[in-house]
Amino acid sequence: MDFPILTVLILLPAAAAVIVMLLPEERQELHLPVGVALSLAPVALGGLLFYQFERGTSEFQFVERASWIPQLGIGWILGVDGISVLLIVLTTILVPIALAASTSITDRSRLFIAMTLLLEAGLIGVFVALDLFLFFVFFEVILVPMAFIIGIWGSENRVYAAVKFFIYTASGSALMLAGIIALAFIHRSQFGVLSFAYSDMLALDLSLTTQRWLFGAFALAFAIKVPIFPLHTWLPDAHVQAPTAGSVLLAGVLLKMGTYGFLRFNLPLFSQATVDFVPVMAVLAVVGIIYGAAVAIVQHDLKRLVAYSSVSHLGFIVLGIFALTEQGLQGGVVQMVNHGLTTGALFLLVGMLYDRRHTKEISEFGGLANTMPIFAGVFLFMAFASIGLPGLNGFVGEFLILIGSYSTLPVYAILAASGVILAAIYLLWAYERVFTGPVTKDENRAVRDLGAREIAILAPLVALIILLGVYPKIALDVIEPSTQAVLDRVEATSDFEVPAVGRVAELARSGE
Amino acid sequence: MDLFYLSVATEIVLVAGAVLVLMVDVFKAPSAKVHASIAGATLVTAVGLTIWQWDRVVDVGPSSGFAGMVQLDRPAVIVKFILVGVAAMGLAAAWEMMVSLGPRLAEGLSLVFVATAGFMMMGSGANLIMIFLALEIGSIALYVLAGIARESSTADEAALKYFLLGAFASAIFVYGIALVFASTGRLDVYEIGAFLGANIVLKPAVLLIGISLIIVGLAFKVTAAPFHSWAPDVYQGAPAGIVGFMAAAAKVGGFAAMVRILNVAFARYEFAWSGGLGALAAFSVVLGTLFAIQQSDFRRLLAYSGVAHAGFILTGVAAGVDGLPGVWFYLATYVAMLIGSFTIAALMGSPTGSGLSISAFAGFGKRSPVLAGSLAVFMFGMSGLPLTSGFVGKFSVFTQAWIAGFEWLVVVGLLASVAGFFFYLKLIVTMYFEAPVLAEAPGTATLKPEPSFVVKVVLAFAVLVTLVLGAFPSLLLDFVADALPF
Repeated sequence: MDFPILTVLILLPAAAAVIVMLLPEERQELHLPVGVALSLAPVALGGLLFYQFERGTSEFQFVERASWIPQLGIGWILGVDGISVLLIVLTTILVPIALAASTSITDRSRLFIAMTLLLEAGLIGVFVALDLFLFFVFFEVILVPMAFIIGIWGSENRVYAAVKFFIYTASGSALMLAGIIALAFIHRSQFGVLSFAYSDMLALDLSLTTQRWLFGAFALAFAIKVPIFPLHTWLPDAHVQAPTAGSVLLAGVLLKMGTYGFLRFNLPLFSQATVDFVPVMAVLAVVGIIYGAAVAIVQHDLKRLVAYSSVSHLGFIVLGIFALTEQGLQGGVVQMVNHGLTTGALFLLVGMLYDRRHTKEISEFGGLANTMPIFAGVFLFMAFASIGLPGLNGFVGEFLILIGSYSTLPVYAILAASGVILAAIYLLWAYERVFTGPVTKDENRAVRDLGAREIAILAPLVALIILLGVYPKIALDVIEPSTQAVLDRVEATSDFEVPAVGRVAELARSGE
Repeated sequence: MDLFYLSVATEIVLVAGAVLVLMVDVFKAPSAKVHASIAGATLVTAVGLTIWQWDRVVDVGPSSGFAGMVQLDRPAVIVKFILVGVAAMGLAAAWEMMVSLGPRLAEGLSLVFVATAGFMMMGSGANLIMIFLALEIGSIALYVLAGIARESSTADEAALKYFLLGAFASAIFVYGIALVFASTGRLDVYEIGAFLGANIVLKPAVLLIGISLIIVGLAFKVTAAPFHSWAPDVYQGAPAGIVGFMAAAAKVGGFAAMVRILNVAFARYEFAWSGGLGALAAFSVVLGTLFAIQQSDFRRLLAYSGVAHAGFILTGVAAGVDGLPGVWFYLATYVAMLIGSFTIAALMGSPTGSGLSISAFAGFGKRSPVLAGSLAVFMFGMSGLPLTSGFVGKFSVFTQAWIAGFEWLVVVGLLASVAGFFFYLKLIVTMYFEAPVLAEAPGTATLKPEPSFVVKVVLAFAVLVTLVLGAFPSLLLDFVADALPF
């Protein structure tokens, strides 16, 4: 262990936050450029991490172990596998983009940038923590910057949304903490020492009843975060009220903490309970897919529409995870990244539109393609990516999820497929109402098209969406060993057997 | 008889300081500066002696003095450390208020020292009578302190209420001692422990009622529900500057005595009292949290949150000996946040005034970013957010309660912690998310307080304790690990 890259990745944004706070308050023109520049350092480090990440193994890499609170068996244990490394890269990429898009924030801009950077530090921490206590610390701590971002810089109803967000997610994690404490003590009773280390948890022998309770405790926390229907009600409020950067990071990364949690903890640790709960989770996932999409169709507010589309998309990810097939899991992970890119981009676009017209009501627009063609083009591109047009990233993820779930949950897969069609309805219909036809309102005649800065913000997202669409191998290569390991673990510790078609290797062989 | 003066050295210095302040005041009527330097010297000496005591305890182990009346061991010294800190922070925070009392400055100072000495003695007293005396010394000083701003009718009301209910609690406590004496014939906690360990009490009802009454008496002091009813009025009515000290010192003393009496004298009866404490803890966290949610006054909010915190600490006490490190950690870090919060409350209101509406904090984050930031740290700390010492404290008591078989209590505590976010967030929301109050209406809170240097030091210290011990709790956990009263 030479260079503690993961610790540095956590500390870098935190240090950047401190630097930003030290800038003179009156030199406001400096705040955002410095913030963006500083947030590029984690991007470089994230890229290095991705580059050095060894493919073809499911072992945790870049592992760091240090003792933190030895009295309670708590360690500073970090490491990444194929699932977390992509989410880290996603986080580091989205932060500078979200910051660069926040020029409209002038009130207490230093604090805003610092909060965003602290949020980044916390998010990276969540994805690299391999000690359950440490994981919980990061999981909980990010509530503070996020609640501040919504509460201070949000729109009219921001206080309600911020408090709702905080209380909802904090209640979920309280029971998870009880679950974590329980796990540590089970470890103590089986091995004689208190431990919160993830690797030690894998060695535990849990009875079925215990597994079900713990699955419930963890699943509640993650289900609220994802959010899984019917625990999603905080999400539209939080998204609509949050400033653009907040929405981008909320949809792009925060929600993924839930799905990541399922993959990292529920499946491997409580595998038999997972298998037992598959019907429940699958029903909730499918209800979420269809409900989220149906509600998105009837929204008048463009941002609310994108928010509900998140509920639908996250439903896909949950379905993929609980299909318990390799394709499903891989699709789930790929879709986590995809959703972060496309929905993040859609929120950016809505924010840019809002900056120009100070409204998000769909009925206020119409014929915008005439006045802002580039914007319309990018929006349509993102809409297609979100719907899952072949050649773009969304297709890869949804296709894998549908294949993967068809082999174990055929009925659900068929129902879920309708979500793809519904997505086409709400996004394309919204596109039609906002962009096509003649310009009906005078305010829309003089709207500026995208400027150079905005194009620069969106360009990396467009590039990544195309890259992942045409060459998903770059991500799948990283994911595959890790999802395979999760599935092996589930198979080994439960009575569940992955059908042959649910294994990528088997499926390929049978095709020969 | 070996007197072993070192065992009470800190108390002696504090009382000597109190006397010195009064004497100097009578003969020379000196300026506030002279008093400040005497107070400073007293506290520094007290800290020095406490370090010496710690050194000795670590080297030689526990020892008793004054014919077994006092015990010098790790818990005793830790309580002394905490209380010296509480006194120093409380005095620094209250200094402006005290100076504004004019000729009563010396009285106030000596009362603070005497109260501190009394509560310290509660931590080292090894004889029930000694503990009772210590409790009275500390409490009576606090009753007077509550009413030291005689001009304010709310302060008088608070002082009277505090005195009446406090005296009632003391009576219950001493009655409990009498019943314990009746059934064991002993007053020394170690002798009681040995007696109960070697003999079977044939009619345990008297003993058990005695234990219950002792717990009830101490529960008054630590504001555990349902014995908390005095706290909101006193916290709201007493002079703002000194409330933090009053609240913190009484809690530390009460818990210190409770821990020693229960674990040493009545260890044999843990099966009986731990369940009772568990119930008391659950009742305190639930009731404190529910009432705190409804408060619109900041100081009442802190009082009810204090009830909830008493419940959390009781959770650790209920867990028995293993819960004690968590209890010490919780106490030490909670009092820092508590005094810090009251210090800001004092800055916002007039120093001797009473009450402080939460709405006065609207826009505080913009007006006074540093003060608001400190208060936000205290609020997040008290709510038990990770990376603050409040989280580690809660976590330690919860884990030990879980081992001790109080799983249900842990779940209640966790749910109450979540509900607690409501009122701690209320303050954050008011400070940061709401538009500032523009005009300064007469008689309301100061909009942009200017803290003095000592106050800044107090706040910085409290913030550091909250954050540093949140990130690196081992620093303190190591220190309290073996602090058991045997």
